[in-house]
Amino acid sequence: MTPLLRQCLIHMAEDHHSLEDYEGGVPRWCNGCGDNAILAAVQRLCRGEDLSLERTVFVSGIGCSSRFPHYMGTYGFHGIHGRAFPIAEGIKMARPDLDVFVNTGDGDCCSIGAAHWIHAIRYNMNLTVLLHDNFVYGLTKKQASPTSPRGLRSNTTPRGSYLEPLNPLSVTLGVEGASFVAQAVDWIPQVLYDIIAAAHQHRGFSFVRVIQRCPEFMPGMLDPWLQDPSKTLLLTHENGLQLEPDLARIYTHHREHDPLDIDAARRLASSDDDIPVGILYRNPEVPCYEELRGAGQARPADRIRASLEAELDKFTVWPASDERAAA
Amino acid sequence: MDQTAEIQRHMAFHLTGAPGGDLESVDFAARPALLAPYRDLAALRYDYPVVLVDDAVDEACVSSLTTLVDHMLRDNAPRGVEGERVRRSVLRAEREIRRLVAAGARGILSDLWAQAAPDLADETEHLNVDGEVADCDAELPRRVVAHAWHSVQRQKARRFHADVDRLVQALSDILRAAFIHSEPGRRPESLQAAFGSLHSDQFDFDMMSRLLGRSSPRDELPPDRRERIERALEVLRRQRFFDPAPGSSSAQSPEPPFEYRYTSCRAAVDAFRERLPAVVEFVKAMSIAELEADGRYVGSQHDAFFQSFDENSLSREDLARFPDYLVCVHGDESGAVIDLLSSGLPVKVLVETEELLAPEHFGVHLRSTQLASTVIGLMDVFAFQATSSSLYQLRERLLASLRYTGPTLLSIFSGPSSASSDLPPYLLSAAALEGRAFPAFTYDPEAGPDLASRFSIDENPQPELDWPIAPLEYADASLQRVVEQIPFTLVDFAACDRRYARHFARIPREHWSDETVSVDQWLTLDPAEAEARVPHVLVVDDNDRLQRLIVDAKLMHAARRCRELWHGLQELGLAHRHLAPALLDEAPPEPLEPSVAEVPGAAVAAVAEETAADDPWIETPRCSTCNECTGINDRMFAYNDNKQAYIKDPDAGTFRELVEAAESCQVAVIHPGKPRNPDEPGLEDLIERAKEFQ
Repeated sequence: MTPLLRQCLIHMAEDHHSLEDYEGGVPRWCNGCGDNAILAAVQRLCRGEDLSLERTVFVSGIGCSSRFPHYMGTYGFHGIHGRAFPIAEGIKMARPDLDVFVNTGDGDCCSIGAAHWIHAIRYNMNLTVLLHDNFVYGLTKKQASPTSPRGLRSNTTPRGSYLEPLNPLSVTLGVEGASFVAQAVDWIPQVLYDIIAAAHQHRGFSFVRVIQRCPEFMPGMLDPWLQDPSKTLLLTHENGLQLEPDLARIYTHHREHDPLDIDAARRLASSDDDIPVGILYRNPEVPCYEELRGAGQARPADRIRASLEAELDKFTVWPASDERAAA
Repeated sequence: MDQTAEIQRHMAFHLTGAPGGDLESVDFAARPALLAPYRDLAALRYDYPVVLVDDAVDEACVSSLTTLVDHMLRDNAPRGVEGERVRRSVLRAEREIRRLVAAGARGILSDLWAQAAPDLADETEHLNVDGEVADCDAELPRRVVAHAWHSVQRQKARRFHADVDRLVQALSDILRAAFIHSEPGRRPESLQAAFGSLHSDQFDFDMMSRLLGRSSPRDELPPDRRERIERALEVLRRQRFFDPAPGSSSAQSPEPPFEYRYTSCRAAVDAFRERLPAVVEFVKAMSIAELEADGRYVGSQHDAFFQSFDENSLSREDLARFPDYLVCVHGDESGAVIDLLSSGLPVKVLVETEELLAPEHFGVHLRSTQLASTVIGLMDVFAFQATSSSLYQLRERLLASLRYTGPTLLSIFSGPSSASSDLPPYLLSAAALEGRAFPAFTYDPEAGPDLASRFSIDENPQPELDWPIAPLEYADASLQRVVEQIPFTLVDFAACDRRYARHFARIPREHWSDETVSVDQWLTLDPAEAEARVPHVLVVDDNDRLQRLIVDAKLMHAARRCRELWHGLQELGLAHRHLAPALLDEAPPEPLEPSVAEVPGAAVAAVAEETAADDPWIETPRCSTCNECTGINDRMFAYNDNKQAYIKDPDAGTFRELVEAAESCQVAVIHPGKPRNPDEPGLEDLIERAKEFQ
């Protein structure tokens, strides 16, 4: 608007951040990699929710996806292979006031970190988990991962993989304590954003599997879904995903799905043909572990301050007269 | 229907207002395209609601809630994580108060705060101020003006009481000194009373009385002087013009103070006439008191003067000591208002205008902007014209107008009843200002010796232009971001109001053409050319879709008239720049480049404009940020605020790069268009490869 009116209409500026504020290092992922789309969606979410840079933490394990914290302007912890969940849980127990995200890959989460994954679901701590699933170990230059399709020829399976892939959605939905399970794809940016936003709003362990392309090691694998929007099944519901009209015209294959219905969610998760995209399951009633355990109460601010003072006092040079008194 | 017939239908509607053919009536809640982003005002921090701060003076008497909260946070929120928590909670409370007030809640800030955020009740002590909270609604002008008037009168009262107290003290001192020197004053019991009870038994007051009687000269006040002083004291002490100040020596009147607020001009004049003798008496008493206090009263010179002292002896400075009359009337009393203002009485007349355009007689009702212009001709009347939306921004001018010693006209547009529009009153009022339907200006007779320095239209947006221009950002049919600079005209203002819907007709999107021209362009055409063209205005519907509406001739006539009135104000207002004629003849200057960040959210109107098929384009909302195209040429491809690609400069690279980017785009959203350089090598092959992506 013109200056006078514009002066009056100031956008709600609760410490308003721009997208650039959330950018960290320059991503070193390959061009065309779906990780870039996830990064952009998460940065948009941070801007949209105006998350404090100093109160947001991204935790990852090892893999292409796990480079994620380097590219965010917030705090981050690039952990060790398969151990993103325990690190994130530790952060949450110590500082339940922080926004904690976990970025993990199909190898990091579903293979070496599977045990932690199962128990993280049980604990249902308030974490936003993004499983970057590109069906392959990319960082180690093409090795079969637990989600690789059967028959994939890779450096570790030169004659093709022998096993049927693990379905992360079915696994998560099968664990007692699951409270939020969703699936997104990197090539529909608006839906990806909406799902991550819903996951972030959910109080509990929000598990989002993001199916992503790996143009380097799995070229063309997802082309049928990219080229034919009708093969993507969008799950809509008034309590779930809601499509904008323009998007609904392109992606014509929708289905109403109530996120409270876990049986329907399990059926959808195990369907083979179409990729279901949307919120499969959400149950806000499941208690969070950190609340059950009263996390954060053990370390009130005054105690932290007292401990810090005591620690700093060790290095204080006391005046000669006070030294004896201090001793 | 062929194209010619369509154009004829459009013209027929423009001329007669009768819809037909492909035209559709406007049965949706239209809002001007430039106002599309402002759906939910409660989510925005802006000037309203305001707090009418108790006991504050000058600009601080009207403070925006947002400003108060900002100051509170700046001064009190601790640093670090704890401060962040406080900040967010307080901002949430602010938003909740805004919602409550918009829903009709009334009350003082501390009460509303307690209601909005019971858990933050302790924070209110950091606000340091309190007062009524007022939103931008139909009652705002009256509330703000009355509050500002009270603030000015309070300052006046302080000066008044200081003067009166000083004079009362001086006159009392004269009387007391005379008493001490008088026979009764030297009596033993008077001396004992003056000494007090402590140690009084150690003095012989009879002896003291005798001694004093011998040594003191006999200098009693002459009776006529004593009477004069006592009468002046009596008048000063019994004044009813201001509320008595606590502890003031003038607080002795048994009768209540005079009322100075009226809702009719007649009543104000009658009250003034009725009180005039009291005013004359008081001014006379003050003048006598001043002379007596200085010992300069000479009976032979002054008695005759004060005997003939009457209402004709009052100067403007004398009247300025007393409270101003505040008269609040509606626009239909303009005749009486001009009579009152021309009388030169110390009145502040608030004229509230609710309607600017009557559905039947546009031309007649545009007169409401004329009242303030008319009183400029009276030369010594302060004229202040504004809309309720701009009152906060213009509070300094408002206070100046209320401090002015002569008559003042406050002409304020308060907006029609909300039933006629879906827009909040703030936006409606702002639209009247933006659309020049109710321009803001001030005429301050004390600002300078000539009209140029006294009259100002700087309060209006982009006062050099016919209509203010602002960027409209939207997504076109291909979901591409488009930014256009469009003006906000009187017709946009009319489009906000459902009662004028019959002056508009919607053109179906498939029939949009270059045959219709925008309202501002139409108004600049010469009459012969204008007769052959049909004007349209851009609005958005309930779903934020951009629509073109044809405007009928009656409304265009009103717009033309409005523009002429604005030109009249421009000639006066820009005169001090000595450029008025030149400016009006010249092409309008380029507006300042607006920042996208200043528009809260892009207007998501979809429009079926033809994108030139030859130009390259990207389906930006579908871009998945994979860096393929920016990796090929980051001068040609760039990311927008959402980190999604668009074509920044199609000439910054080759057609080959466009085709390669389209081929490598994972989600196939890049469309290379046609080659821009016919000499580029290998074009034939590239055009063939590009076909797949057109």
